[in-house]
Amino acid sequence: MKRKMAMIFSLLLCAITLSGCWSKKELTDLAFVIAVGIDKTEDGKYMMIFQVVNPGNVAGATQRGGGSGGVPVSIYKATGDNVVEASRKASNKLSRLIYYAHTNLVVISEEIAKEGVDGLLDALERNSQFRTTAMVVIARHHSAEDVLKILTPIDKISANQIIKTLQFSEKVWGQTLNVRVGDVIHDLDSAGKAPIISGVEIVGAVKKGKRQTNVQASEPDARLNINGIAMFKNGKLVGWVFGETARGVLWVMDKIEQTSITVEWKRKKEAVAYKVVRAKTSVAAHMKNGKPSISIRIKAEGDIGESLVPIDFTNPMQIFALEKKIEQTIKNEVVHAVGKAKKEKTDVFGFGNAVYRSYPREWKKMKHVWDESIFPQLEVNVTVDAFVRRTELRTKPYIFGQ
Amino acid sequence: MEPVKINARQLFVLIVLFEHGSSIVIPLGVGAKQDVWLAILLGLTFGLLLFFVYYRLHRYYPDAPLTAYAQDIAGPWVGKILAFIYIVYFLYIASRVLRDFGELLLTFAYPETPLFILNAIMMLAVMYGVYKGIEVVARTGELFLTFLYLLAVSGFILIISTGLVDLHRLQPVLEEGWKRVWKVVFTETLYVPFGEMIVFTMLFPYMNNPKKMKQVAIAGMALSGINLAIIMTINIAVLGADVAARSTFPLLDTIRKIQVANFLERLDIFFMIALIIGGFFKVSVFFYAAVIGTANLFHMQNHQRLVYLLGLMVLLLSIAIASNYPEHIKEGLKIVTIYMHVPLQIIIPLCLLVAAAIRRRSFKQQ
Repeated sequence: MKRKMAMIFSLLLCAITLSGCWSKKELTDLAFVIAVGIDKTEDGKYMMIFQVVNPGNVAGATQRGGGSGGVPVSIYKATGDNVVEASRKASNKLSRLIYYAHTNLVVISEEIAKEGVDGLLDALERNSQFRTTAMVVIARHHSAEDVLKILTPIDKISANQIIKTLQFSEKVWGQTLNVRVGDVIHDLDSAGKAPIISGVEIVGAVKKGKRQTNVQASEPDARLNINGIAMFKNGKLVGWVFGETARGVLWVMDKIEQTSITVEWKRKKEAVAYKVVRAKTSVAAHMKNGKPSISIRIKAEGDIGESLVPIDFTNPMQIFALEKKIEQTIKNEVVHAVGKAKKEKTDVFGFGNAVYRSYPREWKKMKHVWDESIFPQLEVNVTVDAFVRRTELRTKPYIFGQ
Repeated sequence: MEPVKINARQLFVLIVLFEHGSSIVIPLGVGAKQDVWLAILLGLTFGLLLFFVYYRLHRYYPDAPLTAYAQDIAGPWVGKILAFIYIVYFLYIASRVLRDFGELLLTFAYPETPLFILNAIMMLAVMYGVYKGIEVVARTGELFLTFLYLLAVSGFILIISTGLVDLHRLQPVLEEGWKRVWKVVFTETLYVPFGEMIVFTMLFPYMNNPKKMKQVAIAGMALSGINLAIIMTINIAVLGADVAARSTFPLLDTIRKIQVANFLERLDIFFMIALIIGGFFKVSVFFYAAVIGTANLFHMQNHQRLVYLLGLMVLLLSIAIASNYPEHIKEGLKIVTIYMHVPLQIIIPLCLLVAAAIRRRSFKQQ
């Protein structure tokens, strides 16, 4: 009898302690925040925008083919003096608990970025639900709220649309890059490297973009477009780079995987498209008479993608000549990017970091004047080795015979 | 004393789990920034020297724990006081590790659960293990070490395959010379976890094969030291020295960054398992040493009756020692190191060894 009682007691104890329902949260009580936007209100407070998944309309929409039932996400807003206050305040509009573990995107408005992102990210880094692997973008020209409101086709949840666009665009085109919250914090934290963040902008009619009709047209009234890289200095946005200059930044940072480069041939601009398949950049710091210099060595391998001019690709000499042109084009992109950063006096490439790694003692002396006086005058040597490995399925272009 | 015996492999397992214990999760020696691996390996080297002191003492008294031979070397009065101090020390460190464990779980997994509940549940498990005896704890350890290693290896592969490791972050080596490294060695890594081997002077008499003991203990310490150095190096290479130094649990941050093929991610559970296994064995070993020491000092035949009382003390102490986590850490790094680790891990054992050696020699001359 005693034994039985003890057994029952221990079973009960297990049932109570092992089920772990101390702070239980039912799935139906959670609001999954997929993206967070941060804006500034007119009276200087923070406005947090939460893009919350509408679970019923995400899976269902694809099955119904068109999703007439409802929108896949809804937007909630709250203002507060800081991020945590705003996030708690949103509870008076939301019928569920805000749950951050699935937040994959942070959109920061350009206005806030210009004032500085320093303080903002602490709340995100400190919170144990939130992951620092979430991506960051800057909303260009529009508020973060507008960006998160736009409904998108193909990927129903617009946060996913932005994330995937960032990932694939970096991979095949290389003029924007995906930056994670953790990277930004690391850059803000360590001396000799300033953060950069890609921009997202709205093309089209913003007001129409938030209606379901936006995704019912073959060409939506409003689209989200990833464009430009924002350069930061002391946590504040100081300038943008676009297009090929932006790609120059990625070349230096060894972020280029694939891209396409157009080179001129015999005075015809945009004559040959060179497809980069593989690329590797190494950055090294040198010190001469107490003066630092940086050497950047880029190695690119690729194929000929397209030729609009008659070049005899069966002739290796022609290929070598073309390689020279490609090298010059890449070098120009890099030089432009470095020049732009020097003009803004912000070391987004981490050259200071390279100096610190190789010459820690000298770095200590120049650390405080690096951005202002040393970096803008820094000697940067760029060497590019480009290789055309193959010409794909054809040798000479068909216009060769004409 | 319990009539149980543990074999060489079990001692090895206990040492490895004990040394990993909480050191695997806390920012161990991050004051040395990217040279943390050097600080840990040097801590290990000096820790091994300390171990030889403990080992020599044990060779003089192969059948007695520290609390018993202290009385023989220093005389009944001083020896009894020393033994008592060591018991209090073991109890205190047990409650510190328990607090560490509870705080860590609370911070990242159970934010709304009271600390007392978490600590109480853990302590119940520890008390049960110690009640059953050291052999049971050691056998449990054999199971869990395999498990821990499987986790560590798979975690390692995942971190590498996510492409997180950036070896540039380990440069520059010795940025501020050796001074910073030595400072960390002699204020942190030597004592925790390597100097804490002092607690094993209470367990050595249970070893059934004393000849193998030296090899096994050295192998266990060396393996743990190398593992800890690798783990902290990976943390730095993934997070960067600055973030790792600011982080409450660098290993957690590292594991959270794993993202393989869009589905192997959010593996926080790896960290949690490492934390619970390590925490359990560290608390158990300290607590067992305290229980055995008390039984020995007060000439009790059965140590099991002490488990409830001392267990409750450890539990209450773990709540009472600090009012917040930073205070707890600060105490651990500053006060405990100077007033507890240095005298109890280095000075007293050395004095005991010298006294024992002199007495042996004078005996022989007679």
